[in-house]
Amino acid sequence: MTDLSPQLLLYIGTAAGLFAIGLYGFIVGPQTLRRILALNIIGAGIFMLMVVLAYRGLADGAADPVLQALILTGLVVAVSATAFALALLARLKQARPGQYRPEQEPGP
Amino acid sequence: MMVLLLVLPLVGALLMLLWPKIAPLLTLLTATICSLAALQLLLQVSEQGSQQILLAGWPSGLAISLEANSLSCLLILLTTVLQLLVALYAFATYRRDKLGTGFWPLSSLLQLGLTSLWLSRDLFNLYVCLELLGLVAVALVSLSGDKAIKPALNYLLLSLFGSLCYLLGVAMLYGAYGVLDISALALQWQTNILSTAALLLMTLGLMLKAALWPLHGWLPAAHGAAPAPVSALLSALVVKGPLFILCLLWLQLASAPQAVAIAPLFTGCGLAALLLGGVSALRTPFAKNMVAYSTVAQLGYAMLALGLLLRFNQPLFAAALWLFVLAHALAKAACFLAIGEITATLGGKRLNTLKGASQTMPLAMFAFAVAGGSLIGLPPSGGFLAKWALLQGLWLQGDQLLWLLAIVLATLLSAAYVFRVVVLAFDRADPVAPDFAPRILPQWLALLPALAVWAMALYSEPLLRLLKQEGL
Repeated sequence: MTDLSPQLLLYIGTAAGLFAIGLYGFIVGPQTLRRILALNIIGAGIFMLMVVLAYRGLADGAADPVLQALILTGLVVAVSATAFALALLARLKQARPGQYRPEQEPGP
Repeated sequence: MMVLLLVLPLVGALLMLLWPKIAPLLTLLTATICSLAALQLLLQVSEQGSQQILLAGWPSGLAISLEANSLSCLLILLTTVLQLLVALYAFATYRRDKLGTGFWPLSSLLQLGLTSLWLSRDLFNLYVCLELLGLVAVALVSLSGDKAIKPALNYLLLSLFGSLCYLLGVAMLYGAYGVLDISALALQWQTNILSTAALLLMTLGLMLKAALWPLHGWLPAAHGAAPAPVSALLSALVVKGPLFILCLLWLQLASAPQAVAIAPLFTGCGLAALLLGGVSALRTPFAKNMVAYSTVAQLGYAMLALGLLLRFNQPLFAAALWLFVLAHALAKAACFLAIGEITATLGGKRLNTLKGASQTMPLAMFAFAVAGGSLIGLPPSGGFLAKWALLQGLWLQGDQLLWLLAIVLATLLSAAYVFRVVVLAFDRADPVAPDFAPRILPQWLALLPALAVWAMALYSEPLLRLLKQEGL
C-alpha cells in the first residue's frame, strides 16, 4: 500500500469506528428496525473507507474512478436492499398488528 | 453464447413483469433455450478450452470479464436444467398451491444471478451477483405468505450482513493492490496481515451466506417456510453460489501457508456440520425442515473436501468437492419436490403426515427414497461417486483413519434420517388419507432429478477427469 497521510488515517479510523458501531448495533439490537439501520451504518463505514482509499496517493492527486464507480454501485444495492427490508418489516407488522387477534379475545 | 445466457433470463424477467399472464410460458421458454445454450457452451469449452469475453469492448483491466471454463459450464448447465425442471413443476401445481405471480420473474432473475456468478472472475462483480442472489432468494421465500415473512426478514438481514463483510474485504484488497480481477490479484498476492484479514472477513461473510456450520441458523427456517419449488431452487443452487466464491478465494488467491493454516477450520466446521446437522435432521418433527437440515449436513461434505484440498493439494478432493455439489443439487431438488408434493396432497407439515405415503403416493415416495440413496451415498449414485473420490483421496494420503471413521458416522446419520421417512412411509396399517386425488405429473417431475443423480454414475469417468483438471 502506498503511504497514507495522517489526514487519510483519520478518515480510515472514522470509517472503522462507523463499522464497529454498526456491528455492535447489529449484534445487540433487539428490534429489527434497529438492525436494518445498523446495517446501513456498517455500509456507510465501508463506503467511507472506499472513498478514502480512492485518494490514496495517486500521481496527480486525482481520485481513483474505479472505486467511485464501485461506491455508486454499492449505494444502489444498499438502498434497494434497505427498501426491501423495510417493506418486509411493514408486512410483518401488518400480518400481526397487535398481541391479540379479535377471535382470540376471551368472551364476556 | 455467454452473453445470451445472461441477457435472455433478464429480458425474460422484464417481459414477465409486463405480461404476467404469459409469465409461466415465458419462464419455460427461456429456461429451455438457456438449457440448450448451456449444453452448447459446455461442448464448445470441452473442445476448445476455456473462453473469456470482455464486456462492451473495453480493454482488459477495465472491462467486466466473463470466463467460462468447464466447471462453470457444468454449473450453468445444472442451473438451467434445474430451473427448467422446477418451472415445469411450478407450472403443473401453481393453481393448486396458490404460488404468487412473483415466482416467475424472480426465478428468472435467480437464474441470471447464478449464471453470472459462475462466469464472473472479478471480486466486485461477484459481490453484485451475491447481492442479487440474496435479494431474489429472500423475495422468493416471502412468496409463501405471512408465516414466511419472519424467516425471510431474518434471512435478508444476515445475508446483507454477510455481503457487507465480503464488501469490506474487497475494499481492503483493492486499497492494497489496486486490482479486482482474481487472476491479476493472484499475481501480486503477498502474504501479510492485511491480505489475511481481508480473506477472513470475506470467508465470514460467505460462510454466513452459504449457511456453513456454525452460521447455518437461518437456513432451516427459511428453506422450510418457502414454497416447495422455491425450497428446491434455494437448497439445490443458491447456497452453492457463495461456496463457489469461497473456493475461488482460497484456491486461487490465498498463498500456500494461508491455505494450510485455514484448512483445519474448514475440515472442523465440515465435520461438525455433518454430525450436528445430521442429528438435527433426525430430531426435527417437520418434514421440510428435515430436508433443510440435511442440506446443512451435506454442505459439510463440501467443506470437508475443500479443507482437505487446501491441506493436501490432491486433485481427487477437488473432484469430490464438485461432485458433492452436483449430486447434492440434483438429489435435494428431488427431495424437496417430492416432500412438497406429498405434504401438499396429504395436507400437513409434520413428518407423521407421511405415514403410509408409499401406498397413497408411491411415485413421490420412490423419488424421495432414490434421492435419499444418493444423500446417503449408496452405489452407484452421484453421492457415492463423490464419497468414493473423497475416501480414495484420504486413502492415498495414508494414516487418516480418524477421518474415515467420521465419514462412516456421518453416513450412518444420513441413512438414519432418510430411513426415518421411508419407514414411516411403509407403515401401511393406517395411512393418512390424501385431501384430493394425487397427481401423477408433479410426482414424475420430482422423480426426474433423482434418476439423474443415479445416472451421474454412468458418466463418472468423464466427470472425474474434467473436475480433477478444472477444480478451479
